[in-house]
Amino acid sequence: MRNKTIRFLTVSLILVSLLCAAIFSFLAVYMNRRSTEAIREVGGIYMSGMSEQISMHFGTTMCLRLSQLEAIVETYPAGSTSEESLREELAYSAKARGFESLAFCSADGSFEMIFGTEAEVVDLQPFLESLTEGQMKIAVAMEDDGDKVVLMGIPAAYRMDGGNCVALVAGLPVDYISTTLSLDEDNSLVYSHIIRRDGSFVIRSGDAFRDTYFDRIRETCQTYNGTTPEMFVEQLEQAMDAGRDYSGVFQTEEGRNHIYCTSLPYSEWHLVTIMPYGALDQTVNNLGRQWMVMVLGGCSVILLALVLVFLKYLSMTRQQMTALDEARKEAIHAAQAKSEFLSNMSHDIRTPMNAIVGMTAIATANMDNPQQVQNCLKKITLSSKHLLGLINDVLDMSKIESGKMTLNMDQVSLREVVDSIVNIVQPQIRSKHQKFDVVIRDISTENVCCDSVRLNQVMLNLLSNAIKFTPEGGTIGLSLYEESSDKGEGFVCIHIIVKDNGIGMSEEFQKKIFESFVREDSARVHHTEGSGLGMAITKYIVDAMKGTITLHSVPGQGTEFDIKLDLEKAEVQEADMVLPNWNMLVVDDDRLLCESTVDSLKAIGITAEWALSGEEAIEKVDKHRRLHDDYHIILLDWKLPGIDGIETAKRIRTSLGGDVPILLISAYDWGEIEESAREAGINGFISKPLFKSTLFHGLKRYVEEESPNHAEVQTESRHADFAGRHVLLAEDNELNWEVAAELLSELGLELDWAEDGKICVEMFEKSEIGHYDAILMDLRMPVMNGYEATEAIRKSDRADRDIPIIAMTADAFSDDIKKCLDSGMDSHMAKPIDIREVARLLEKYFK
Amino acid sequence: MSLTECYIALGGSYEEVLSRLSSERLVNKFVLKFLTDPSYDLLVRSMESKDWPEAFRAAHTIKGVCQNLSFTTLYQSSNQLAEALRNGYTPEAPALFDQVCADYERTAGAIRAYQAESEV
Repeated sequence: MRNKTIRFLTVSLILVSLLCAAIFSFLAVYMNRRSTEAIREVGGIYMSGMSEQISMHFGTTMCLRLSQLEAIVETYPAGSTSEESLREELAYSAKARGFESLAFCSADGSFEMIFGTEAEVVDLQPFLESLTEGQMKIAVAMEDDGDKVVLMGIPAAYRMDGGNCVALVAGLPVDYISTTLSLDEDNSLVYSHIIRRDGSFVIRSGDAFRDTYFDRIRETCQTYNGTTPEMFVEQLEQAMDAGRDYSGVFQTEEGRNHIYCTSLPYSEWHLVTIMPYGALDQTVNNLGRQWMVMVLGGCSVILLALVLVFLKYLSMTRQQMTALDEARKEAIHAAQAKSEFLSNMSHDIRTPMNAIVGMTAIATANMDNPQQVQNCLKKITLSSKHLLGLINDVLDMSKIESGKMTLNMDQVSLREVVDSIVNIVQPQIRSKHQKFDVVIRDISTENVCCDSVRLNQVMLNLLSNAIKFTPEGGTIGLSLYEESSDKGEGFVCIHIIVKDNGIGMSEEFQKKIFESFVREDSARVHHTEGSGLGMAITKYIVDAMKGTITLHSVPGQGTEFDIKLDLEKAEVQEADMVLPNWNMLVVDDDRLLCESTVDSLKAIGITAEWALSGEEAIEKVDKHRRLHDDYHIILLDWKLPGIDGIETAKRIRTSLGGDVPILLISAYDWGEIEESAREAGINGFISKPLFKSTLFHGLKRYVEEESPNHAEVQTESRHADFAGRHVLLAEDNELNWEVAAELLSELGLELDWAEDGKICVEMFEKSEIGHYDAILMDLRMPVMNGYEATEAIRKSDRADRDIPIIAMTADAFSDDIKKCLDSGMDSHMAKPIDIREVARLLEKYFK
Repeated sequence: MSLTECYIALGGSYEEVLSRLSSERLVNKFVLKFLTDPSYDLLVRSMESKDWPEAFRAAHTIKGVCQNLSFTTLYQSSNQLAEALRNGYTPEAPALFDQVCADYERTAGAIRAYQAESEV
């Protein structure tokens, strides 16, 4: 394609150049020819004018001379005086007029001289004929010494020897004619000859020395334009015979000449005027050369411009082709990535799916152990939820790629998020026999505003990567800690750190890890499954949450991700978590965890000590036993250096007896170790991570055991009293309306029913200002749906148009929620109606 | 036939609805009321006249009612049908509609049986 285009361009350039050169050459040749022709035409016109001039001048001069002679004849008519005196008179008059000789001419051609020397007429016959017929005539005569004389004869009848004469003939030197006619001007280009019909010269000028002009032509001329000298002479003779003027060009050694031939009056003569083209030719040739140069110059300029345009175009085409090529590669890459995507996505889906399948199998095997089954079901629920979230993510993938992903901010409990994550990844960690450390340090704000699904996704991505790229027996660490946020009081900065001691990453790979569909391409990771999309999604989500993610990794030593998020503190106050002032012992080999747990316990009113090993724990228990200050509860890690948690519990139980609760803390699954733990005298289990609330809820039941009177206090539902509040409920289905009415009236609310959005708007507009405290709005209704109704209410000009409107819908897609908020609703509530949720929302929005 | 048995017959969760509505009297009242709910007729009519937006709304309403009453089986099929019709007609809709019909007959049959017994 590319070569084809370039070849086409090159060929076109060459063809256009050739065409250009051909056209200009043709123009040059054609114009040269045209200019030669033009010069010839100009020469012809000039020469004919010139010859006419000379011819007329000749005519006038001869006419003048002849009339002078005529005047003499008229003045002295024959017989007026004596013959002697007449001759004298005539001679006198003729001399006075500059004639050189005067004679009578008889009919047979003999002359009787009056004065001057006698000369012999060269061509006597026509001369005599004309004179006899009474016409004036001019002829040339040859004197004895060889000089030429021009003879002019007019008819006259004087007496002469042997009879009357027919004419009076006067002679003039031949130079007179050439001088008068300026035939031989040196400073003129043009020169003329006078010749007779047979070509013999009457008057010759310049370097002509031959007897006849025809000989001169035959000898000096060359063949020009296909005309030989002989043909040329023939043409000249024909023109002379026909009495036409002749105009032509002939070539001599000295150059081209223009010849013009015309007949002269009163004679048998022809005037031949010749103009050499030499000088003109030179001018014309100069012109031609200049023209050639200009044409070639113009041609080169055009060719140069063409080449420039061509080169520019070529480079542009190249660029375009390169861009096209890149775009094509990108498209192919994207297409490949897309096609790999679905198959690769199975990895992300498989992680929670494995948990579900595994737990289902365990539950099936333990049908007779309801507690075990319940435990499994709980985990299945957690994994299912996550799986659902992931599938939503797959559907959202196009949104992420087109940058349209929206965060669904809601109140989130960090404890619940971390709990569910730990539950999901536990089976994987166990199957790879990895050590899992979950450390929660100094988290005072457990409830924050965040998109829980996305946060889950981020942590799960990092953890499953850590598990994947850490060999069996390695260590995976998840820790959370809190800092004060730069954003102000209402925010808290949470760090989430995921650390492993796995294979790590090369520096080059660290640079592109957050790109889509990327996995380190080396042999050691080839067997690892995955879409390579996880990190891109993670990065995108963290960016969308306006957080940062940093990465430290050394190949062969492990990887650490640090996510920093500034999260808004949740508005709701956490319930007061206070426990009796117990003495507790925390046993764990992780000093940080011990310190953090002790701090958390202190926050809920418990004094605690910690020990880093089983042996140390046993010592401390013995010491307190001796002081009769037994610990109320002991928290014991399962995995400990030296003697493990189970063994430690056994020994403590031996020395302490059965009345102090010993609880196991672990990130591992309680179900597996429960049996041996119970045998060792362990009472219960608190799963890591140890949030303040985890500890509170885990320990609370021991308070209840201690004081059974208070057992039911917490279960009392706290229903707000909304007596006298008016709420408008828009719901098209009667049954749904009745259910809602039944439930909401328990809160003391007074409800009005609108059967569709239009009725709802009308009822609202007819009511007194401030009558309704809130509107609960179904979304899908006939006539007018919930969105339109909300917009109509918000657009009304009532003072209470900002009344709280809460959507009720059976759909809980984030798009729907966004659409609700966009149309002007305040909040959103999923069906079926949950009385506690309604109470919470109404409490929030009632003024 | 007790309400619990009725719920088992129609594939719902009696515990859930009781925990939400908190009184057997209410559950009884609403369950019987379900037979007079017009949404199913609307759904059948809309499907016949190929009025897909209206069919979607009817399926959606049935889904909402089932959520309120914890009729799990009918909820699931009506939910699927609603999703299939959300953006207009899809090829799956007729099969899902058949499922909804079957589930509705099962639900309504169980409730009628319960009604007949409780009236005696």
